[in-house]
Amino acid sequence: MRKTLIVAQSEFATLVRSKAFVISVVLMPVVMIASIVLVRATKDATDSKDRTFAFVDYSGVVAEPLKSVAGLYNAATPESGEGGLTRKGPRFIPLEVKPAGRIPEELRLELSDRVRTAELFAFVEFPANIVDPAGGAQIRYYSDHPSYSALPQWLKMTVNAVVLNERFRQASVDRALFVRLTKTAPLEELGLFERAGDGGVTAAQEVDAARAYGVPVAVLMLMYITVMSSAPQLLNSVIEEEKMSRISEVLIGSVSPFQLMMGKLIGGVATSTLLAAIYIVGGLAVAEYWGGYASAVTPAILGWFLLFLVMSIFIFGSLFVAIGAACNDLKDSQSMMTPVMVLVMIPMFTWASVLRAPDGTLATVLSLIPTAAPFLMMLRISLQPGPPLWQIIASVVLMALTTTLVVWAAGKIFRTGLLMQGKSATIAEMLRWVAVK
Amino acid sequence: MPDAITLTGVTKRFNGIVAVDDLSLSVPVGSIYGFIGPNGSGKTTTLRMIMHILLPDHGDIEVLGSRDTAAARDRVGYLPEERGLYKKMTIRRLLRYYARLKGGTKAGIDAAIEDWMARMDLPGLLDRQIETLSKGMSQKVQFVAAVVCNPSLLILDEPFSGLDPVNAQVLKDAVLEIRRRGTTVVFSTHDMSTAERMCDRIFMIFRGRKVLDGSLESIQDQYGADTVRVRTAKGAAALAGIPDIDAVNDFGQMQEVRVTGDPQAFLARLAERTAVYHFEVTRPSLQDIFVRIAKP
Repeated sequence: MRKTLIVAQSEFATLVRSKAFVISVVLMPVVMIASIVLVRATKDATDSKDRTFAFVDYSGVVAEPLKSVAGLYNAATPESGEGGLTRKGPRFIPLEVKPAGRIPEELRLELSDRVRTAELFAFVEFPANIVDPAGGAQIRYYSDHPSYSALPQWLKMTVNAVVLNERFRQASVDRALFVRLTKTAPLEELGLFERAGDGGVTAAQEVDAARAYGVPVAVLMLMYITVMSSAPQLLNSVIEEEKMSRISEVLIGSVSPFQLMMGKLIGGVATSTLLAAIYIVGGLAVAEYWGGYASAVTPAILGWFLLFLVMSIFIFGSLFVAIGAACNDLKDSQSMMTPVMVLVMIPMFTWASVLRAPDGTLATVLSLIPTAAPFLMMLRISLQPGPPLWQIIASVVLMALTTTLVVWAAGKIFRTGLLMQGKSATIAEMLRWVAVK
Repeated sequence: MPDAITLTGVTKRFNGIVAVDDLSLSVPVGSIYGFIGPNGSGKTTTLRMIMHILLPDHGDIEVLGSRDTAAARDRVGYLPEERGLYKKMTIRRLLRYYARLKGGTKAGIDAAIEDWMARMDLPGLLDRQIETLSKGMSQKVQFVAAVVCNPSLLILDEPFSGLDPVNAQVLKDAVLEIRRRGTTVVFSTHDMSTAERMCDRIFMIFRGRKVLDGSLESIQDQYGADTVRVRTAKGAAALAGIPDIDAVNDFGQMQEVRVTGDPQAFLARLAERTAVYHFEVTRPSLQDIFVRIAKP
C-alpha cells in the first residue's frame, strides 16, 4: 500500500501541474465568466440596418393597416414605445407593389431579382382570401436570408393581428370584449406545505425553475466535466510516459504492475476530487450570489456526488489505463477509446428524458446501469423528491461490483500490455489476457 | 561465499518459443558478473526474471536469499536496457520518486542524490528538467536512480552502450565504487574488452542456453593456448596457404591466428615467407571465444 500511495502522490503532483488541469481550473471558469459578460454586453446591441421589404396585397385589406403599424413600430424606441409598441431591432420598411395585371410568376421573378441585387431584403404576398378562416390561405415570404427570423416573425404577428381585426369587424364582434371574455386563469406551481419546528405550518413556496431543474443539471454537468477532465488523462499518462518514454520497466523493477495501476487510479481520483471541490466551491459561491441557490445543494447531495465520482473514476480510469497499456501510441488508442466514449455519452443523450420523468421506468433502469449511474442517479438525487433510497443503494452496490471487476480485468491487461512494445493489442488479445490465470 | 542470485533450471517461453532454456546459475555476493551473448540470446529475459518483471515458466530463482523475487526488489537496483525517465520532471523530483519506491527515506535520499550527482559530474543540475538533458546525462541520471538507495544487488542491462569514452569511464568507475561498498553487480554487455577487464565472472548465454560460466581464466583455459598473434612484413597475405591454420582474425597491422598444430612449426613456416616482427603464443580473447560460439 505504501508504494501505491507513493505512485498516487507522484501521479497527483504530475496531473495537477499538467496543462490540462490548469486549463480546467483556470480557463474554463474564465471562459464561462467571459461568455456571461459577452452575452450581457451584447444583449442590448442592436441590429440597426433597415430592412426594406416589398409586399403584394391581393386581399386589399392588409396593405394600409400594415403600413400604419410599420410606421408606429419604426417610430418606436426601446424606452418609449409609440402606440404601445417598442422596438429594439432595425426598422422594417414596407414597400407596396401593385400587381398591375402582371401574372404572379413574372412579378415574383422581378421581385426576386430586386432581392438579389440587395434593393430589397425580402418580399411577401398576402393572398386574396387571407381573411377567410376556412380558406387555408398562407402568407408567402420570399428571401435569400433564410436564417434571418426577425422580419418574418414580425410580419406573421403583425399581419395576423390585422387579419383578426378584419375578421372581428366583418363579424360585427367587439374584439376587446372577446379578449376580456376569453382571458385564461394562470397556474402557479408550488411545493408542499410543511410542519415547522415550532408546530406551526410553513406555507408552500413557489417552484423556482432554476432551483428545481438548473441545480440538478449543473450537478450532472459537473460530474461529467470532472470525469472527462480526469479519466482520459490517465490514458495519456500511460501512453506518453510509461509506454512511449519506456518508463514502465524501471517502475516494474520497483513496484508490481497492480500497485502502479492502483497508484495511478488513486492519483486520478485525488485530482478529480480536487477539481470537483474547486468547481463546487466556486459554483456554490456564484449560485448563492445570483439567487441564494447554494442551499439547493445539500450535504447529502455532496456526499453521494463524492462517492459516485470516486467510483466512476475507478471504472473509467481503469478502462483508459488498460487501453493505454495495450496501445503503442495515442493514435492507436483513439479507436479503442470509442466504445468507452459511447458508454460515457449514453447519459448525455438520455439525461433530458430522465429530467422530464425522473421516477419513470426509463430513468430508473438507466440510473442503475453502473457506467451511467454516476451521472443519471446523481441527476435523480438532485431532483426533488429524489429516488427511493433502495435504488440509490442498488446503484452503489452495482457500481462497486462493476468497479471491482473492471479494476481486476484492467490490472491483468495492464500487467501484460505495459511491457509490450512494437504493436498495439487488439480487443480480442486484451480479452485473452484477462482470461489468462 | 553465499550467492546473491541463484537460478535453478529456469525456463521461459514466449508464444511457444524458448527464450531461456533450463538455465542454472549462481552469482556470488560481492562479485561483478558479466552477462554476454548475441542479440536475442536471452540476456534481458534472464535479467527481467531476476527482477520479477517476468515470471519463469519452470525453475526457481532466489535473489538475496529470498525465493520471492518481488520481496527482494527494494534491495535491488535496476538499470533496464530501455531507459525511461519522466521528461517533465526535474532530476531531483525524479530521483526522489524512484528512491522512495525503493523504500528510501527523505533525509537519506537527498544526501545520497547530492553525492551521486557529484560523482557523475552532474553537480548543480538537480533542478533541471529531464527533457533538457543530453543522452549521456540522462543515462547517468538513470544510473543514479538505480544506485541511490545503496542496493545490495545492482543489475545493469547494457549500461555502457551509447556513451562516449569519458562518460563510459565515469560509469565504470562508479560500478567499481559500488562493488567496493559490497554491492553485487550484474551487467550485460556487448563490449568484450569491458567484460574481460571488469568482471570477476562471465556468463555467456546463446540461444537461451548457458554456454560459458566462470572466471575469464577458467574460460580461456577451456580453449587452451591455440592462438598466435603475429606482425609480419607482408601482413595477412603471408598466411595464405600455410597448413594447420583454423582461423585468421586480421586487425591490419596484426593478425590473430588460431593454429591446430605446433605453434613453433607454424613460426618456422611463416619465417620462411616473410620477416616476422612480433610472435606471441597466447590464449584466445573473450571476443574470439564469443565469435567461435556465436558464429553462424
